[in-house]
Amino acid sequence: MSAAAEDRSTNRDWAAIAQKVGTPFASVLLAILIGSLIMWVSGYDPIAAYAALFQGSFGTPKAFGDTLLKSTPLILAGLGLAYGFRANLFNIGAEGQLFMGGLAAGWLGLVLAGQPWYVALPLLLLAAMLAGAAWAFIPAILKARIGAHEVITTMMFTYIARYFVSYLVIGPLKSPGQIPQTGLLPPESQLPRIQSLFSDATLQAMPFLKMGRAHMGILVAIVAAVIVWWVLKYTTLGYENRAVGYNPWAAETGGISVQWTTVKALCISGSLAGLAGAVEVMGVHHRLFDQFSSGFGFTGIAVALLAKNHPIAVIPAALLFGALSAGAGTMQLMADVPQKIILIVQALVIFFVAAEGIVTYFVKQRQKEATSNVG
Amino acid sequence: MNSKTIRVLSVLLALVLLVAFVPGCAKKTDTGTGTSDGTTPPKSTVKAAMVTDVGGLGDKSFNDGAYSGLQRAEKELGVEIKVLESKEITDYESNIDQLATAGFSPIFAVGFLMTDTVSKMATAFPDTQFGGVDEFFDPVPANVVGLNFKEEEGSYLAGVVAGLATKDSFDSKLNSDNVIGFVGGMDIPLIQKFEAGFIAGAKSVNPDVKVISLYAGNFTDQAKGKELGYSLIEQKADVIYAAAGQVGLGTVEACKDKGALFIGVDVDQYETVANSGDVMLTSMIKRVDNAVFETIKAVVDGSFPGGTIKVFGLAEEGVGLAPYHDFESKVPQAIKDAVEKARTDIIAGTITVPTAP
Repeated sequence: MSAAAEDRSTNRDWAAIAQKVGTPFASVLLAILIGSLIMWVSGYDPIAAYAALFQGSFGTPKAFGDTLLKSTPLILAGLGLAYGFRANLFNIGAEGQLFMGGLAAGWLGLVLAGQPWYVALPLLLLAAMLAGAAWAFIPAILKARIGAHEVITTMMFTYIARYFVSYLVIGPLKSPGQIPQTGLLPPESQLPRIQSLFSDATLQAMPFLKMGRAHMGILVAIVAAVIVWWVLKYTTLGYENRAVGYNPWAAETGGISVQWTTVKALCISGSLAGLAGAVEVMGVHHRLFDQFSSGFGFTGIAVALLAKNHPIAVIPAALLFGALSAGAGTMQLMADVPQKIILIVQALVIFFVAAEGIVTYFVKQRQKEATSNVG
Repeated sequence: MNSKTIRVLSVLLALVLLVAFVPGCAKKTDTGTGTSDGTTPPKSTVKAAMVTDVGGLGDKSFNDGAYSGLQRAEKELGVEIKVLESKEITDYESNIDQLATAGFSPIFAVGFLMTDTVSKMATAFPDTQFGGVDEFFDPVPANVVGLNFKEEEGSYLAGVVAGLATKDSFDSKLNSDNVIGFVGGMDIPLIQKFEAGFIAGAKSVNPDVKVISLYAGNFTDQAKGKELGYSLIEQKADVIYAAAGQVGLGTVEACKDKGALFIGVDVDQYETVANSGDVMLTSMIKRVDNAVFETIKAVVDGSFPGGTIKVFGLAEEGVGLAPYHDFESKVPQAIKDAVEKARTDIIAGTITVPTAP
């Protein structure tokens, strides 16, 4: 290979990376711009609104804690979706696996009452992963053996999971009282809040640690992201996953079992979604009830899309959605902008990420202009 | 190709703007502070606020009801008002926290899912007063009032209407089988109160009536509501009362499809469910607006009933029946008189309505 060709190929690499990172950024920027246009047209002050939004999501340690709180399940669900997407599988039913994970944690936590935290916490997280994986296993087998599309089957399984949890919290697992919910998890089974790990003196000295409701689930999520990244990049399991995603026929010819890889991919995707349910139950609500998830499994789809299925990029993508959600209250309070505007901005982000072609088109156009100007 | 892409893009953008513009404008008019009718409201230093549940404003139910109570207080009592809508359950705590920090009191939280959060925030902000709509506390914190409703009393009136209507023939959808139906959301004590009152009311005027009760298991599945409606009509029910949130909307569809009358719940569903006039006999309404307004008034007067559960029944105008609307001229005077008699008897205490079936 000549030096010139090598040079060109590194150039192309850089261009590819720039495009990979650039498009999501451009999408978010466009969404924010159009969002402010909408606010302006509707008679609200976009600058005040975004200032309040920022204040409410990053302005104080407590606000940042809320952003982390809301990002935690989104990171895990997004990871699950991204892992599936890498194998060209659309696990649209992550919400159902999330419910089963939450159920496993909420139930086992009560069963394990009296166990020390170092026994309870790992067992609960593990149980949630297994429950999520088990819930994905049947659609996975159906996909692998008879080709039943996972979009249909996992979605159907979401309904079953939701109604099953609903039945349990109204019936057999209901704690005494008016409200359909399980009993409170013992403290050993709860993921502690970050600020509760430090002494008052430390908090006094380092006020940025007073992150309110943020809990150790964020650590679980970040560790999970690093592990998924490592698995995809450096292990045979991850290689097979990607190979099947790129081209199943080529993978099969190369000696990879597409069926088995499909099953593994959906189960791993399910286990990550299950983990998302567990951190919500163990870190936020400390009990199970039928509305404990606000559609995190579905928002996870958008997170994975925005992250372009890169496990590490899932973290900032989830933080964006978490921040939009955390700042919405302050935006209503300070700028009188209705919360629905936030939903519009979120929808626009998804729209532009999905309609990447449009953004790429403009980027290309710009590049063409730039080169023609130079030339 | 290029110009086509641009055209598609501009159409899409125009659509986005249009969709955003319409509700945006509508919202603007009703969040506007100050009264539009020119009268100067009395001034008050009270700052009242509410946190919606995930249904948000525009749910045509409790959130909107509580909000109209706030608006009335703004107008009549001159208090400052603020609404924070919640998108997720985790928003409840941060929204209440922010309102309390900003000095709002009383703060109303709508829906029983916020019970835990209200208890927690009541401890964190002991000087702030809270009102929990549909929330039951045991024990009630000193700075909290639980706003509950005697749904069984309103349901009793609905039962009287249904029990007499099924024997009557003022509408072609009524049959002679003497069967009526009840559709519940979740099979929990809160909803069982509706069922109990409805059955008692029906039996009080029609001892032989058969009441079939079905539960959907949730408050959202409209398809399930339709299915349950079909099932009830199949079993000859000709008047169906649904206390099931969104599920009831499916039941309305079933009634329109197969020909049965429907009794709505929570709000006057004649107003909120489009094209339901030919089946909507009446609705059992919960006056969340009255409960919220009365509570704000108590705060202004300095008589906030903290530490108690306030129960709003027929006597307090906390529950009642909506107008018959399209059936106004069809419903026989005898039924209207029976409802009125039941109402006065309940208020007088001569009838005690059961709360569990």
